[in-house]
Amino acid sequence: MALDQLYQQTILEHNRKPRNYGHLTGATHAARGHDAMCGDDILMELIVEDGCIRQAAFSGDACAVTKATASMLTDWLPGRQASDIADWSNQFQALLKDHTLPDAPELADLNQLRPVSQFPARVRNALLPWTTTLRALNQPEGTNP
Amino acid sequence: MEIVKSGVREQLDVLRLRDQFPVLSREVHGKPLVYLDNAATAQRPLAVIEAMDRFYREYNANVHRGVHLLSVEASEAFEQSRKAVRRLLNARSEREIVFTRGTTEAINLVANSFLRPNLKAGDEILVSHMEHHSNIVPWQLLCEQTGAVLKVMPINRQGELLLDEVESLISERTRLIGIVHVSNALGTVNPVAELCRLAKRHDVPVLVDGAQATPHEKVDVQALGCDFYALSAHKMYGPTGIGALWGREELLEAMPPWQGGGEMISRVSFDGTTWNDLPHKFEAGTPNIAGSIGFGAAVKWLEEVGVTRIAEHEAKLLDYATKRMLEVEGLTIIGQAANKGPVISFTLDGVHPNDLGTIIDHHGVAIRTGHHCAMPVMQFFGVPATARVSFACYNLRAEIDHFLDALEKARTMLT
Repeated sequence: MALDQLYQQTILEHNRKPRNYGHLTGATHAARGHDAMCGDDILMELIVEDGCIRQAAFSGDACAVTKATASMLTDWLPGRQASDIADWSNQFQALLKDHTLPDAPELADLNQLRPVSQFPARVRNALLPWTTTLRALNQPEGTNP
Repeated sequence: MEIVKSGVREQLDVLRLRDQFPVLSREVHGKPLVYLDNAATAQRPLAVIEAMDRFYREYNANVHRGVHLLSVEASEAFEQSRKAVRRLLNARSEREIVFTRGTTEAINLVANSFLRPNLKAGDEILVSHMEHHSNIVPWQLLCEQTGAVLKVMPINRQGELLLDEVESLISERTRLIGIVHVSNALGTVNPVAELCRLAKRHDVPVLVDGAQATPHEKVDVQALGCDFYALSAHKMYGPTGIGALWGREELLEAMPPWQGGGEMISRVSFDGTTWNDLPHKFEAGTPNIAGSIGFGAAVKWLEEVGVTRIAEHEAKLLDYATKRMLEVEGLTIIGQAANKGPVISFTLDGVHPNDLGTIIDHHGVAIRTGHHCAMPVMQFFGVPATARVSFACYNLRAEIDHFLDALEKARTMLT
């Protein structure tokens, strides 16, 4: 059933043991993502060098969907061009909205979050780490969130 | 009126009562619906649905405007509803009952028509730490615009108002006290009558947010001694988009209108306009006629079933659920006031409220998760969000058992 797809093993694993959970020494960009309605409150931290994301981490308190997304996203971000993230974010959002689209291989594990599309009330949770990352990147380097 | 047979009040026949609520027989994700989100909005009985349906089918017309039969019938039904709300609150007169879109609009009406015209920089408004946003934000807006100051009456870790500390917060600049009768986030029933007595000694008017009180207890505004009482029909088995403000007649009489338009006027000319009588002075434009009629039907339905019997049934559900939930490992009840309405806010270790809400929804159980429009309460208890179950007249012990089973399934799934 749909519920098992949403709370599948991979997502549960990322929720239990999130990757890149904590703070980065020397973060160049950071932003806080707060969804008051759900109670999600995360901090995304990035190290960007010459326009390329070198490292990403997150911390905070959030639901399984947000945590799993943040965990997968911070795994996926290193090596990406900061200027491309808005397009990737749009592509991810499209995948969550239209389940007939094929997976985007470049998004790797993040495709596993697509069952969220069957839970309209939870789509916002999968988008929060993305929008927070974009806000961090759009802030001047060294801004304290 | 409450049905009392042979001198003994009968217990609520919940199973028969449930038959009056069509939605309760539906399934959710293939499971029978267990609706435990009543503090957000209750379900509607057939009496309410049919009253509104009958209006649209049989006598739909505008009110107070036409000489034709349909308009006369619509106006009569509309005003009968006002009478029903007067009875509900034991107000002295129908002139004191203003229909609004709900509690929020009623509070905004008081903010804009009662306080704003006389509010000065440095004046003070007092609200409790457990208010719903609807009894915080209208005052904040007013303070921003006038330089008045919003002060907070503290609560303790059980979620009870610290009445002893209220007196020291009242000053000669205090212009109003706003207090929630029953907290939607914690379930706390506040000592409104005591607070009103205290306020009266200092000549400070009190507005009570009664949204969560009217479905669960007999409210008597005269006995409470308050000055304004705001309520919403949809929390008490009536339709959404309709509620009322009760205000003491002499206060309402002295207040200017807050919205201009039709209905609220007596005579309009470009030389000047005079206002209609109470309560129409505050009801500009064509009102929510069907909603008002549904509201009246909900009041009558509550009178017939008996709010006291409902309260007894809900108190048993609250006791049972509280006892069972306290036995659940890692479960913390947020808000443990000695006097509570049928609301239980809680957190469960290792399970975010959002995930809990989604998972148990798939077992048919509808609960609320999040901040419950009371973010200062969440901040006070240091939690980002809670899950909340809230009971109504039609809930069963078996539904609480089902909810607790679903809770364990959610925990097993996530941890």
